Amino acid sequence: MNRSGQPQFQLSSSDLKKFLQLALSRGGDLADIFLEYKISRSILMEEDIIKESSESITLGLGLRVIKKDQTGYAYTNDLSEEKIKKVAWSAAAVANFPRKIKSNWRLRSLKTKQDVSLAKKEAISIDLTKKLDLVKRTYKSALDFDQAVKKVQVAYGESLQHVWMVNSEGISVKDTRPMVKLVAMVLAEKNGRRESGFFGGGGRVGLEYFYQQLTPEKIGQEAAREACLLLEAVEPPAGELPIVLAPGHSGILIHEAVGHLLEADFIRKKTSIFCNSLGKKVGSEQITIYDDPTIPGYRGSYNFDDEGQPAQKILLMEKGQVKGFIQDLLSARLMKTQVNGHGRRQDFTDWPLPRMSNTYIERGEYAPEEIIHSVKKGLYVSQLSGGQVEDSGKFTFSVSLGYIIENGHLSRPVKQATLIGTNLDILQKVQMVGSDLEFGLQTGTCFKEGQEVPVSDGCPTMKIAKMTVGGTR
Amino acid sequence: MKAGITPENLRKLAERLVNYGKKQGAEEIEVTLYDGLEFDVDIRLGQIENLVEAGSRYCLLRIFKDKKTASASSSDLSLSSLQTLIRNAIKRAELTQPDPYAGLPSPARFKVHENSLKLYDPEISRMKPQEKIKLALKTEKIALKDKRITNSFGASLVTNELRTVLVNSNGFVGEYLQSYCSLSLGLQAGKGDQLVEDYWFSSRRHLKELASPEEVARKAVERTVRQLKPRKIKTQNVPIIFEPTMTSWLLAFLFSCVSGTAVYKKVTFLADRLGQKIGNDLVTIIDDGLLPAKLGSRPFDSEGVPTQRTVVIEKGWLKNYLCNTYAARKLNLTSTGNGNGQGVVPNNFYLEPGPYSPEEIISSTKKGLLLTRVIGHGLNSVTGDISRGAFGLWIENGEIAYPVSEITIAGNLGQILKSIEMVGNDLLFESSICGPTIKVTEMTVAGV
Repeated sequence: MNRSGQPQFQLSSSDLKKFLQLALSRGGDLADIFLEYKISRSILMEEDIIKESSESITLGLGLRVIKKDQTGYAYTNDLSEEKIKKVAWSAAAVANFPRKIKSNWRLRSLKTKQDVSLAKKEAISIDLTKKLDLVKRTYKSALDFDQAVKKVQVAYGESLQHVWMVNSEGISVKDTRPMVKLVAMVLAEKNGRRESGFFGGGGRVGLEYFYQQLTPEKIGQEAAREACLLLEAVEPPAGELPIVLAPGHSGILIHEAVGHLLEADFIRKKTSIFCNSLGKKVGSEQITIYDDPTIPGYRGSYNFDDEGQPAQKILLMEKGQVKGFIQDLLSARLMKTQVNGHGRRQDFTDWPLPRMSNTYIERGEYAPEEIIHSVKKGLYVSQLSGGQVEDSGKFTFSVSLGYIIENGHLSRPVKQATLIGTNLDILQKVQMVGSDLEFGLQTGTCFKEGQEVPVSDGCPTMKIAKMTVGGTR
Repeated sequence: MKAGITPENLRKLAERLVNYGKKQGAEEIEVTLYDGLEFDVDIRLGQIENLVEAGSRYCLLRIFKDKKTASASSSDLSLSSLQTLIRNAIKRAELTQPDPYAGLPSPARFKVHENSLKLYDPEISRMKPQEKIKLALKTEKIALKDKRITNSFGASLVTNELRTVLVNSNGFVGEYLQSYCSLSLGLQAGKGDQLVEDYWFSSRRHLKELASPEEVARKAVERTVRQLKPRKIKTQNVPIIFEPTMTSWLLAFLFSCVSGTAVYKKVTFLADRLGQKIGNDLVTIIDDGLLPAKLGSRPFDSEGVPTQRTVVIEKGWLKNYLCNTYAARKLNLTSTGNGNGQGVVPNNFYLEPGPYSPEEIISSTKKGLLLTRVIGHGLNSVTGDISRGAFGLWIENGEIAYPVSEITIAGNLGQILKSIEMVGNDLLFESSICGPTIKVTEMTVAGV
């Protein structure tokens, strides 16, 4: 492996083909290989000093054998022929009916027309001092924001992942995926009360993003602003209330409450509440949802998924009607439908799963002010800090910052509330969708079955007729 | 363990890297090598869904120069790649700023415990894949006999074997071998929009201590079907009973509040509270890395500091924070052997059990909530505030009346520690953080 970033896996197409042949020799239907070389680096600043920096190398190969709905998987970080053959044989064990394999098939390379990466130059090849400067600027702007700011932590991360994916259907894809992230966490303290704030951004972009689009000053100040605002926040009310979701970050609600349950593995296993919903109306007319991994520069974007399939923008819901599922290769085969480029994995030690990329609700017709004015007494949710959903459709979200709505206007800020509901109920209760589609912070990570992948979410201002709010009053 | 590389070679590689780092200009260097074997079978609806067998190695290293730190990790274990990583780390350290608290633990702290911890079960590598698959198949099969179960998320049998070798430039050389096994099952019951789900698991270091397929299946079924036909409840303040898994969840939050890292950063409501009474007499919390065969035990932490038994809270008095070397130096304390890379982790972190059976605790409650599951986030260590989506069983006149859903619970960890009324006798060490059933005087349950 050389250090300039361009990997030489020291394996040839014909080597990989040979391993695939071996993997299929015990009777598998399909085999694929995921080869990965990834460099990740990070810088952390806290207590006024650059405290640590780290570099991490991920090198390895994962090999999968599919036999009907069964998956055999094995991986290694030793890329010797002997080890990879052993891996192929282990993965093949899931199918135990030896047969002869045709060898007259070929691997053909797929190329992308347009690259979702907007990086002019990959951040990883730029001098460290430039990144240290970005981190220090972020830190200073957060600290200088207000006297109440007591602690600041700034983290910068960058990575460059080289992948090579081949399968026994003849696909061969090589790709290079850059990523950067700069975030600030701020702790503010006043009258014995402590609150924290967070802000940041990044994506499949280069360092120029932090000079032109989202400056380190903006990141530091916004994180500090949130922490200081929360110092004034009151406890949230509890009970059932009308909810207005702020544009952008509230998209996480759609990611959790709808997106996950449209992932094809949950559909074919019939554990998702939407398993018989294709073509059926399950939500309000107001809701149209897309998942789009082809948006240039976004954190959830990619050219090919982790199975070597081209990325595709997919329509999940149109005017409340279920229109599509998030597919990977295995689920599409079992459901006898087309793949749509959403098979993703954390790294070579994991097999792919159907995953979201950049998920959003399409813009509606209402002006955001009109939506807020329509609520007499309710909760305006500005920041959601996370959520979780079960296959049965029950979900919760944590509100890290919100406002009480009184007579159509935002009044006092509130903190630390939890929203809870079931997705079918909420989907039907979406009454108004705004014209102001925005995406949330480009810092998100989605967890599923122990695997993390980068994602982003978006939505316009939205009104939900009522939801249960858990507060302390 | 049938490892790909001999323990001697692994240790030699670590020593070689330490010497290389010193020669390249690192004042101090620490190298950790891991060599692991993983077996994982997922069964769903009577057949294998996923089968994984893999071996992998990993290297972690830290270097210090002029009180400046840099760290690195790699799954590429070729000597040339690791040497490059060390040179890069030294270069990076030169560009960062000095931190007077940075550095390896002093050699005086090194003392590796004898291998009395029983961390490794050779049976795990002897057991054939077919037998492991059978265990998982059997577990699901038993559960699916119950007609109330309508779908299965599957049963899994996972085994791991891991060798850890740690060498540093202060003369520490240590290694240990550990194993892990778990059997789990997830189920769904009900139909349409009345679906409920839950799971159960057993995890241990030794196969013979693992719960039987019958036991795992029985618990998974019971936990799933007891949620059928839930009702909504009105918002109110009531006593809450935490099942052991829920006490563990609460303790995981408490751990994040007594971790030395959070304390020196002052991102915990328990900062500056050492020596104060923060809970009532029933609250005694221990962290112990030396309990034989328990999941959180290990002879030394990631920095080579020997693990120990640390009393964190004694009868409500906050006695100790849990620290790695860095946090300890920042707080002018001593490392408690809880180091993990740059952070702090629990060893076996548990609440001491009390005298009551879970049944006695339930029957003592006129009206209240038996908390069985929480979902979502909503923990704030800075304030101790808790707000989570919850599931549970409503208790009336000392008996379980009906399941409730679509509720949230809200409260404050500081308040909870002061209002624990009863502590159960049902402490099991199913994970490195664990506790028995407890009853808390009052929390807000928000419903309709």
